[in-house]
Amino acid sequence: MRTGVVALTLAVLVLAPLRPARAQFSFDARRIGMGGVSLSRDGNLRRYNPAYRAVKNRADAGGAPKFTIPVPLGLIKFLQDHPVNQLSTDPMFNPDSAKFNPIEVMNLIFNPPIFYEVRKAPAPTNDVEFTIGKNAFVVDLGAAQVLIPEQEFGLGTSSRLLDIGSGFGGFRVGVMGFLQYDVGLTLDDSLRRVLKDADSVRANTTYRVLGDGVAQAGFAPTVGYAGRVLRGAGGDESDDGVYLGGALHYYMGGTYARATGPGGFTTGNPVFGTTPVALLDDTLYTSNKPFGKGLGGDVGIVFVSGPFEVGMGANDIGAELTWSDTKVQRIRYVAVGDSLAKTLLTNHVQSKTKLPITYIANAALRMGTGTTVGGDVVNSGRGTVIHVGVEQRTGPFAVRGGVSRDQRKKMQFGWGGGVRLGPIGLDVGFWTHSNSFSPKRGITMATSISVY
Amino acid sequence: MKALRVSLLVAVAACGEGRAIFNIDAYSFMAGTGKDTIPYLIPPATTASASQVQKINLPPGFGSSVVDTVRITNGRANLVNTGGTGFIGLQLYVAADSLGTYNAGALALNIPETGVTGSQTVPVTITGDLSAGLNSVFTKPTVWLRLAATGRNPNATPVTGRMILTALMIRVVVKDKIF
Repeated sequence: MRTGVVALTLAVLVLAPLRPARAQFSFDARRIGMGGVSLSRDGNLRRYNPAYRAVKNRADAGGAPKFTIPVPLGLIKFLQDHPVNQLSTDPMFNPDSAKFNPIEVMNLIFNPPIFYEVRKAPAPTNDVEFTIGKNAFVVDLGAAQVLIPEQEFGLGTSSRLLDIGSGFGGFRVGVMGFLQYDVGLTLDDSLRRVLKDADSVRANTTYRVLGDGVAQAGFAPTVGYAGRVLRGAGGDESDDGVYLGGALHYYMGGTYARATGPGGFTTGNPVFGTTPVALLDDTLYTSNKPFGKGLGGDVGIVFVSGPFEVGMGANDIGAELTWSDTKVQRIRYVAVGDSLAKTLLTNHVQSKTKLPITYIANAALRMGTGTTVGGDVVNSGRGTVIHVGVEQRTGPFAVRGGVSRDQRKKMQFGWGGGVRLGPIGLDVGFWTHSNSFSPKRGITMATSISVY
Repeated sequence: MKALRVSLLVAVAACGEGRAIFNIDAYSFMAGTGKDTIPYLIPPATTASASQVQKINLPPGFGSSVVDTVRITNGRANLVNTGGTGFIGLQLYVAADSLGTYNAGALALNIPETGVTGSQTVPVTITGDLSAGLNSVFTKPTVWLRLAATGRNPNATPVTGRMILTALMIRVVVKDKIF
């Protein structure tokens, strides 16, 4: 049995799809030190796997604390370097300053300075050369060419802002609030060649960024079940067994909007002899009325056998919302008057949106020697991230390490340790990351206090 | 135009604290239009000048940028003299509009006189930093250049010929402060 579980564990970790994801940021230095793996049965596990509602959240599992308080050393240093009362003149936030660097600002957004940055990922500082001729325009970004995405880039997530309910005997009735957004941008081949290969802008050619964005929110009355359907060898006193969970949602969308189309410009002939014509020709879908309706569900399974544990869960399966009253408009840039023109294409028509399927697969092995190994694969709506980590506890001390595969499909590494003195523990975790506009990794040091 | 500007700003943003460098092939705007040639006819014992004015379009969106240096990195011309003996100098004027290039303050570069005589072709190298006081002109989306040939004839026979531009590459280095 246990051999099978270990095999399944390895299969989950190895065969899971390798795509980007969120859930790699945590305020818990323990988790960061393990490359993002969480050894407790809360957080992502309960969010994405409904079967975990039936599994006890063992306080002693892996030395899990009751709660954790982050020590935001990075925030303290950031506020020292950038006093709040001087933000208006701070070069970092003042575009009129010669030291203003938009890449630094974007890096700050992508990598909030909660924890101390042991090594900041350097922003590209190479020169950019433009070669301009009557019929030529070359942009040579130099080393910064590596920042130009080859494929679609963007941001998005599918989250549940609210999940309340009550029940008995494993059954549960409640209401869930959902929010999903996704913005994807793709450079067309021509523009990518200009930016990535320093190819010259050519005459009578269109250069486009193709955009596709959607945002929708609403709530969903939910009925669900979670329970232990098979008991393991440990009997009732243990957590051993097979747990199943499921939930059926009746989605009632509050509102949604979707925009698709290109933005860019078309060159004249010669390139610099005529003014390029701006291009924006998008289609905008908006709901006139709330209550886009649809059905979808969550399923999950957890298997616990002594120190082994493995689970899989998926959310919003088949969640397609039908919006009965939608307005479809065309928005385009009009050179005359330098304005945007809206044209009503059709109104009061039906349209459909989907919620992405999100999922988690996790596995953990708690050895009797104080060693715990775990891993998870999480997709929160825009790709998948993988975490694998290990913790070794010896007396009051703990040593941790882990690896993860991040949204850029880059390997990241975590390591750290901690000491527990009675009910209080102090943990330090280091984590490499690529959450910035830089080809190089940064290293964050997370610190937190845990209360047991 | 807005889309082009946004694209450029995104591209320049990638330079971080680096510099944006514009290599402007001014000759490409003049070649084949006749503006790359300045005929000259200098009567005996006089001075004379002739010039050509050219508009150069630059990428928009750099109005608030600070130009560090403007330099001609590759400039060449041939003085194709067809008669007489004299001296030909070159001047480059820069301004935000065509009329402005005729102001004395628009003088960006002065190339010393080169002697010409009889029927000969004399190559001239055009190089050097442009006057720093005119740097800000290169942050505008349109720059006007006036290339002037000034002649001096101390002799008794007219000096005739033409100056033919063969290369004029201007390198503009912009400090940060792009937005």
